[in-house]
Amino acid sequence: MSVSQPVSEIEVEITINSRRRRDRVPSRLLLSDYIRDTVGLTGTHLGCEHGYCGACTVMVDGDAVRSCLMLTVQADGAEIRTVEDLAPAGSDALSPMQQAFHDNHALQCGFCTAGFLMTLESVDPADYRHPQQVVELLSGNLCRCTGYQNIVTAVAQAWSDSTQAQ
Amino acid sequence: MIPDIDDHIRHSTRHIGRSVPRREDRGPLTGRGRYVADIKLPGMLEVCIVRSTEAHARITEIDTSQAEALDGVVAVYTGADLADVSTFPDYIAYIGAVRQRPLATDRVRYVGAPYAAVVAVDRYVAEDGAALVAAGTIYEPLPTVADLAQALAPGAPKLFDDWDSNVSVDVAPHKPEVDRAFEEADHTFTDTYWSQRQTGLPMETRGVVAEVTDGTLTVWSSTQSPHMVRTAIALMLGVPEPQVRVIHPVVGGGFGTKTHTYPEDIVVPWIARRLGCAARWIEDRAENLVASAHAREQRHDVEVAYDDDGAIGAIRCTSTLDMGSGEIFMPGTAPVFVTNACITGGYDFPNMQARTVGVVTNKTPAGAYRGFGIPEGAFVMERIIDRVARLTGTDRVALRRRMLLRPGQTPHVMHGGGRLDSGSHTESFERALETTAPALERARTRHADDSDVRVGVGYCNYVEPTSPSYHLTTGQWGGHDSATVRVDPDGSVRVAAGLSAMGQGNETTAAQLAADALGVSPEQVTVVLGDTERAPYGLGSWGSRGAMMLTGSVLMASERLLDKARRIAAHLLEASPGDIVVSDGAFHVAGSPQPSVSWADVGTTAWVRTVDLPDDIEAGLETSAFYHPEHLTHQLDEDGKINAAASWSNGTHIAVVSVRVSTGEVRIEDFIVVHDCGTVINPALVEGQVHGGVVQGIAGAMYEHFQYDSDTAQPRFSSFMDYLVPTCAEAPPIDVDHIESPAPDQPLGVKGCGEGGTVGPPAAVAGAVSDALSEWGVDLTECPVTPVAVRAAIRAAEAAGRGPGATR
Repeated sequence: MSVSQPVSEIEVEITINSRRRRDRVPSRLLLSDYIRDTVGLTGTHLGCEHGYCGACTVMVDGDAVRSCLMLTVQADGAEIRTVEDLAPAGSDALSPMQQAFHDNHALQCGFCTAGFLMTLESVDPADYRHPQQVVELLSGNLCRCTGYQNIVTAVAQAWSDSTQAQ
Repeated sequence: MIPDIDDHIRHSTRHIGRSVPRREDRGPLTGRGRYVADIKLPGMLEVCIVRSTEAHARITEIDTSQAEALDGVVAVYTGADLADVSTFPDYIAYIGAVRQRPLATDRVRYVGAPYAAVVAVDRYVAEDGAALVAAGTIYEPLPTVADLAQALAPGAPKLFDDWDSNVSVDVAPHKPEVDRAFEEADHTFTDTYWSQRQTGLPMETRGVVAEVTDGTLTVWSSTQSPHMVRTAIALMLGVPEPQVRVIHPVVGGGFGTKTHTYPEDIVVPWIARRLGCAARWIEDRAENLVASAHAREQRHDVEVAYDDDGAIGAIRCTSTLDMGSGEIFMPGTAPVFVTNACITGGYDFPNMQARTVGVVTNKTPAGAYRGFGIPEGAFVMERIIDRVARLTGTDRVALRRRMLLRPGQTPHVMHGGGRLDSGSHTESFERALETTAPALERARTRHADDSDVRVGVGYCNYVEPTSPSYHLTTGQWGGHDSATVRVDPDGSVRVAAGLSAMGQGNETTAAQLAADALGVSPEQVTVVLGDTERAPYGLGSWGSRGAMMLTGSVLMASERLLDKARRIAAHLLEASPGDIVVSDGAFHVAGSPQPSVSWADVGTTAWVRTVDLPDDIEAGLETSAFYHPEHLTHQLDEDGKINAAASWSNGTHIAVVSVRVSTGEVRIEDFIVVHDCGTVINPALVEGQVHGGVVQGIAGAMYEHFQYDSDTAQPRFSSFMDYLVPTCAEAPPIDVDHIESPAPDQPLGVKGCGEGGTVGPPAAVAGAVSDALSEWGVDLTECPVTPVAVRAAIRAAEAAGRGPGATR
């Protein structure tokens, strides 16, 4: 006797990194698994799958979202950006924040890095002028390697460069 | 002998000693780093491991029929199905044999013990199946032992029926001179210190992918030791070792937990062979907290003999490790031996007797975690010194100054046999004190107007064994590592090393070393790590060995390769090999204006235009080297002593804290580090290791603690909500300064730096909080120093009539 899964499938239309897709997905499929397994964008990482570590952070309609806490069907019609979308396309260049992470040794194993970058990408630097505000912003992302100091330095450098550029 | 770096530099721009940017960054920064969970193979099935929910039980029945009937479930395997797989070897004769099976067959000894595997079309279905297997499992619960006291009690339930007790190992030397020191001392005190259960907790959990293609079993494992995993797979599955290839892809942190070869490293390849298709298992975080090695849970029963002036005459210490169930490969006993070997650190005092005990309990097996027993020992030593200072009215700093090794006092053999070959023990302490004075002043000023806040300072001077022997730890492996260096026809260099990498930047380091040794730029060097098919047999990255082992193996292989390259160049230049000079990518005849030949000329001659080679030179330009450090020993001598590390780094950690008396809140105002790991290859990478290590150490000092229910041995944690990992908001400013005391007799004088950061914080923070609360006579004997712990200490003091609040 075969027991069948009580799983329904739903069609979703999602724009991810500027590409529109239509997929039939199980209703219980997490957005994180959709991004990684269905779409194949594996730069978004799963560190806890209970919404704590922030490694799976992506942008959904401009907001930073923990993709392990969202169902794919909830993202129907949404625009999603992932870490793969940060560096300028068609060149070897990095985004200013990616470059600042590289310059300041702000990543070691790199597993949490995408989450930090997406958290940072989702905010307006003008709202985080005080270092303590940056610390609070970043405190939703766990890093086990760096001790955070170089990450804070990298953010300060990237954002001060961007202010000077304006 | 202090090694001469210049003998190994053949490039006008020296790369060793510079913060060469990391080549590892681009993948993770752009989302293109490939970790084990990112590997997707055609037809790949997903595996979910079913784990015991009982801490100690016989499994009397596993009904897999419901799971097998589920749509999308391909197979369900239990321990009985793996009867053809051998047990993990019990290589160490002096500890109790556990005969660990990859999947438990009839008895489970901790919550999280694997006993079945569900294979399905995707992870969701595999988890559904696992839930049905769990529901079909019938346990016959057995009495549990949840801690050392329960495990050691007379008549305690035993984990292993054929053992006499729950004691796995008990090494108790007796030194009559220690007895005499106790008889002659002015005073003695006894106390018990504790170190709590923690884990390495890499952000990437473990994972294994396996497939069989064209007769080769290829296994991708998020491991620190791919060659050791390969050997275990070949042995346990009975597959010829050349037909097994283990690759570690990008690894998202390890911190020691990934040094072990785990059941899944065996089970997933077994499934891939059995089903003839690719299989993947990725640990989820809830599993990780019970299924990856725990560490650090030790009790230290201490007796100290000391004189009126604060001089410590002798210490007796019994260090007892809570091993959990002990079912782990390699065994988790070694850290407690390291604890006893490192307790003394850079402090010199006449006598010590250390007893080492390992005890099994119904908890997750203990194993490796960055620090590997060193922080536990440093905590004991620093708390003892603070106690003696207080009891004798001696200044804490002055007492440390009296005891620390001074310049010229190395090499110094510690009581456990560790040979401190060099170091800056006094110098690092003095330099850290200079930075501390203004930091302490700032903290006092900042809180001067708040009568609820006290400020304190705590100290830790430590030693860090680097590039250790793996023999006492594993009972099998030794202490070598390896590299193959090849120059291709186009003159490009490839380095393949047996070492692994989990984020330290070992690829960058290897490229720096090869670049300087061969006179090329790092960009010309391709580095391959973590692949048993491409690199010679090595032991992997652990024990703060990466820098030294890479230096030794890459330089040895490079020198051998240069020797041959010189002969080829000499032939092309019609000169004698002894006259050939190599610099900046070219070979030329010393003192001659003749044109030079390049690495590409030499590489092309070696591999392609072999017709140009003289008869006495073989084709090819590739050499391997197996490096084993000087002074590294693997066996105890007749006195039971051993120098199980090739060299010893050292350092000082000082914490300046503020404590809010009414709430028990502790804030680290400043954390000062002076660090000495000998010759530094890449300063940015070393500083990164220190930063990360210190915050992990602070996690142990203030936050992380695996707690178990004492009646049932059930874990009281299941997520990051109950196992508190520091965030950015908990990480204090860390002031790092470096001293370089090169390791005598080691290549370039390099020592390791991976673990030192974790060593000092528990001792420094506990010392600082005790200092801040000196009005109450608080003397902390364990971590984590949580608000609850601080308030309990204050209340206990006040109940005993101590402290300003006691009189109210």
